[in-house]
Amino acid sequence: MKIFGPNELLEAVINKNLCIGCGACIHLCPYFRSYKGKTAMLFPCTLEEGRCFAYCPKIEVDLDELSQQYFGRSYEGGPLGNYLSIHTAQAGPKVKKASFQAGGTVSALMSFALAKGYIDAAVLTDKEGILPVPRVITDADEVLTCSSSKYSASPTLSALNQAMTDEYTKIGVVATPCQVLSVAQMRMNPLEKEDFVDSVALVVGLFCTWAIDFRTFAPFISERVDITTITKVDIPPPPSEIMEVYMGEEKIEIPLNEIRELVPETCSYCIDMTSEFSDISVGVLEGRPDMNTLIIRTDRGQKIVNEAVQEGYLVIEDIPEENLEHLMWAAGNKKKRAFAKAKEEGMINAEEDKKSYLRLQPKTVKEITG
Amino acid sequence: MSALLDKKEGAEHLLMGNEAIARGALEAGVKVAAGYPGTPSSEIIESLAGVAKDANIYVEWSVNEKLAMEVAAAASFAELRSLCVMKQNGVNVASDFLLHLAGSGTRGGMVLVPCDDPGALSSINEGESRFFARTVEIPLLEPGDFQEAKDMTKWAFELSEELKQLIMLRSVTRLSHASGNVRFGTLPTGEAKARFRCDGFILDPDEGIVISAPVDYKHGQQHEKLKRAKEIFEDSPFNTYEGPEKPELLIITSSACTLYSREAISILGLKERVGLLKLGTTWPLPPKLLTRYLSLAEKILIVEEVLPFLEENVKVIAAETASEIGIKKFYGKNDGTIPMVGELNPDYVINAITKILEIEYLPRPEEYAAKTQGLAFFGAPQRELIFCPGCPHRASFWSIHNALELDGRKGFVCGDIGCYTMALLPTGFTTLKTVHAMGSGSGLASGFGKLGQFGLDQPVLAVCGDSTFFHTAIPALINARHHKSDFTLVVLDNSGTAMTGFQPHPGLEVNAMGDNVPDLDIAEICRSMGARVEIRDPFELEETRATLNNLMEDNEGLKVLILRQICGLSPEKKAGKKYEMAINEEICLGENCGCNRVCTRIFRCPGLVWDKEKQVTRLDEVICTGCGVCADICPAGAITRKEAV
Ligand SMILES: Cc1cc2nc3c(=O)[nH]c(=O)nc-3n(C[C@H](O)[C@H](O)[C@H](O)COP(=O)(O)OP(=O)(O)OC[C@H]3O[C@@H](n4cnc5c(N)ncnc54)[C@H](O)[C@@H]3O)c2cc1C
Ligand code: SF4
Ligand code: SF4
Ligand code: SF4
Ligand code: SF4
Repeated sequence: MKIFGPNELLEAVINKNLCIGCGACIHLCPYFRSYKGKTAMLFPCTLEEGRCFAYCPKIEVDLDELSQQYFGRSYEGGPLGNYLSIHTAQAGPKVKKASFQAGGTVSALMSFALAKGYIDAAVLTDKEGILPVPRVITDADEVLTCSSSKYSASPTLSALNQAMTDEYTKIGVVATPCQVLSVAQMRMNPLEKEDFVDSVALVVGLFCTWAIDFRTFAPFISERVDITTITKVDIPPPPSEIMEVYMGEEKIEIPLNEIRELVPETCSYCIDMTSEFSDISVGVLEGRPDMNTLIIRTDRGQKIVNEAVQEGYLVIEDIPEENLEHLMWAAGNKKKRAFAKAKEEGMINAEEDKKSYLRLQPKTVKEITG
Repeated sequence: MSALLDKKEGAEHLLMGNEAIARGALEAGVKVAAGYPGTPSSEIIESLAGVAKDANIYVEWSVNEKLAMEVAAAASFAELRSLCVMKQNGVNVASDFLLHLAGSGTRGGMVLVPCDDPGALSSINEGESRFFARTVEIPLLEPGDFQEAKDMTKWAFELSEELKQLIMLRSVTRLSHASGNVRFGTLPTGEAKARFRCDGFILDPDEGIVISAPVDYKHGQQHEKLKRAKEIFEDSPFNTYEGPEKPELLIITSSACTLYSREAISILGLKERVGLLKLGTTWPLPPKLLTRYLSLAEKILIVEEVLPFLEENVKVIAAETASEIGIKKFYGKNDGTIPMVGELNPDYVINAITKILEIEYLPRPEEYAAKTQGLAFFGAPQRELIFCPGCPHRASFWSIHNALELDGRKGFVCGDIGCYTMALLPTGFTTLKTVHAMGSGSGLASGFGKLGQFGLDQPVLAVCGDSTFFHTAIPALINARHHKSDFTLVVLDNSGTAMTGFQPHPGLEVNAMGDNVPDLDIAEICRSMGARVEIRDPFELEETRATLNNLMEDNEGLKVLILRQICGLSPEKKAGKKYEMAINEEICLGENCGCNRVCTRIFRCPGLVWDKEKQVTRLDEVICTGCGVCADICPAGAITRKEAV
């Protein structure tokens, strides 16, 4: 992993509008802050190597190194990454009903992990109005207050950094694929600090094809409804192609192609749809708004799923073949498109003295882009 | 009792130039004095305020310079002697009234004292007040030393009454702020009665109406007064010549430059070759006197600071009398012998003289000169302008800066005049992007705030101090509100005119003389205009920042955030620390990733010191004022505060 400092981060990511506002560089120090979805550097920092740069998922991501670390092999470029098994899933009877995004699988897993002490803090994403707000939750019941998806990119990992500063030692985090990539880099102790401990005990990754930029989303919505009255925003699973905005009983529908205009450019370079470096990944299940797709990737992920099922927190089933095929197709497509774009712009395996978005074996790049 | 009221004639006291002016006014029996604080002028009003009760005079810090002049003029119209005082650019503020006052004339003796600041030692301009005397056509006096500062002030009142005209007496920093011995005259005893006679024949200067019209008549009168002034100036004891009967070079100078010129001649040992004509009455110049001295030498050097005012006026006389005095070779600012900008000193005059007379002169042995130059370059610490320890402005600009960065729309701040002008510099995180005249921050913001129509999408902010708010920000706010201009004003309310020494202003319950007076509430004034007003303590960094972001996002017209916290140097603050601060060196992150010493590299309160050897930040307990703010900026919790007992 090549590591530079905040000035390079500013230059290569933030000033190039490649920042997704994941929050990995926030709350590490006094310099980077997030405000309403936008990451800002408050004052110059002169360090030549910093965690801010090292953690950022948008610059110098060494996929082989990460893959070696977590899965014991080089990055192979399969559409879904490494996994042990794939299922459909849904919150079990032990979980109270809440306004889940889909099957409530994520909330169920986090409640369970907290209740059983697998984690001592859960890093989740709440909302204020339509603004996503990162939270550190320590009570199993409170997990549900953060259920449902917020479609704007959220600086959720700032809460992870906060939880680490507050000396939680077994932290669970729910994150989008870009954020999961950051977490994977954080856990590798890139600055080789002597007193480093990996305090991330569980990574639940979400599926993601894009997020919206809050700074463009807020005025877009304000033109249509009074923002302060919004109670829920939902994107039902395909093939519906709409966003639903609820104001109590009332509801308006916005065609998704209008929403896609608000997606930041940086999402089009994103090569991961299913959070490949997580312990467990969760997405929607096509045709079943009340269920999820569940990918188990690591042994510790497996263990938690098994126990959650045993204790009635989770119900899982085999995934139907056609759902799996469609998932592979969608994830493979996203990966292929992003790789092709990044490659064309010289952002992959750039010369030694240049900063590169991604590093991996050149033959893998060829395999993916065809 | 203050030395200023020493009744003993002939008593000698060491006085600052400004105090000498105050004494001169007292000897003249001044009754009303008004001014607006501004370095280097403030001590004149301060000294008079200090003796106001005992001397039975009225002294006020007016809201601005125009008002100061109006308040003083009213006293003159009521047949009292009055003084008004301001710094150089204050005359610009007062100039509209000044023009009309010069036209209407005065009754009781009235003197305007502007203190100029050549070299801009405490200003952001090198403004000239002398040109105003010529522009509005009133007599101008310039004392050359401390004794003259007193004597000329006293005489200025008499002259004013004789001419029925306002007199300008101009001082400069080096005269106002340096001290010298002054021999006192007598203090008047009789009481004066104020009365305004205004029902006589309308053109009667003592009983008619007071106005600058009919213009052709009044303007003509004004010229009569100037003519009379010239005659009086011909014999004035304040114009002196020292030197040989036939000097090779004649230096013509005035004000503090007299001292520099005299010293230069003495250092060079040229008393037998160079003559010095020192003028105390510099507008209108007495032509006969000038003709007489110009005749003495072929070479004329004019030594003065800032603009070539004297130089131009002398050249006019030389041109008019050329047939009599012959052709002269002039040296001064126009030919570059004397620099056009900055303060002068004896070295400049020495350089000028040696160049003109082609004299070899080395001020210091060469070796020594080289050595000192080297030392100055390598050794001398770079003295940087920086906010004091515990200064609320540091905290305020920290939050303003952060709010702007977080907002991310390239918002900017229009600055104003006060200590906080330093926020142009790193000590205020280079937050200010424009600084002009008093109140101009709000005025510019009022203009910027209307440019949304043309696509300006950057948030507009302005700052002003509490004193500046009353001085000229109010009309700008009224303008902004009325025209629906969209901006946020941050009032840095540190409860006093801190930069110039805590003079009271209308927001406070006490006036210049220490009387209880009604205080005006800035928040209420803004609310009454219909502005959205918030009040915060700038030491609460996060709250302040959040409020500012919120105000910036509210694009509905005029918003005002009042940041209230008294100045770190104010007497109340000095009395005691609010917090005992401590730094835990064990957990200080220093230059490591995670802090990179934000406290000593960016925040830079002088109370925090970077220990290079130990690579930790230390507290300088002597300097620390215990404001507690740095505890909130330390990311490691290494800086802690404890309520002081
Ligand atoms: C921006 C975004 C885009 C997505 N795109 C897809 C997609 O294309 N295809 C797909 O199958 N699934 C996608 N998902 C995932 C899907 O919306 C559900 O989150 C997932 O199926 C889990 O459902 P659930 O009922 O278990 O969630 P719940 O039990 O309701 O829990 C939702 C969890 O998501 C977290 N969360 C909410 N918003 C954010 C956010 N902005 N950033 C980080 N974490 C957040 C909360 O902390 C909460 O724990 C996306 C999610 C997000 C946030
Ligand atoms: S290098 Fe470290 S201290 Fe500097 S900005 Fe990055 S994270 Fe902060
Ligand atoms: S770490 Fe995240 S928030 Fe920081 S610059 Fe990178 S993408 Fe943006
Ligand atoms: S598409 Fe990628 S970069 Fe964009 S929000 Fe989703 S995971 Fe992050
Ligand atoms: S801010 Fe705190 S951690 Fe950083 S250098 Fe100062 S005292 Fe040390």
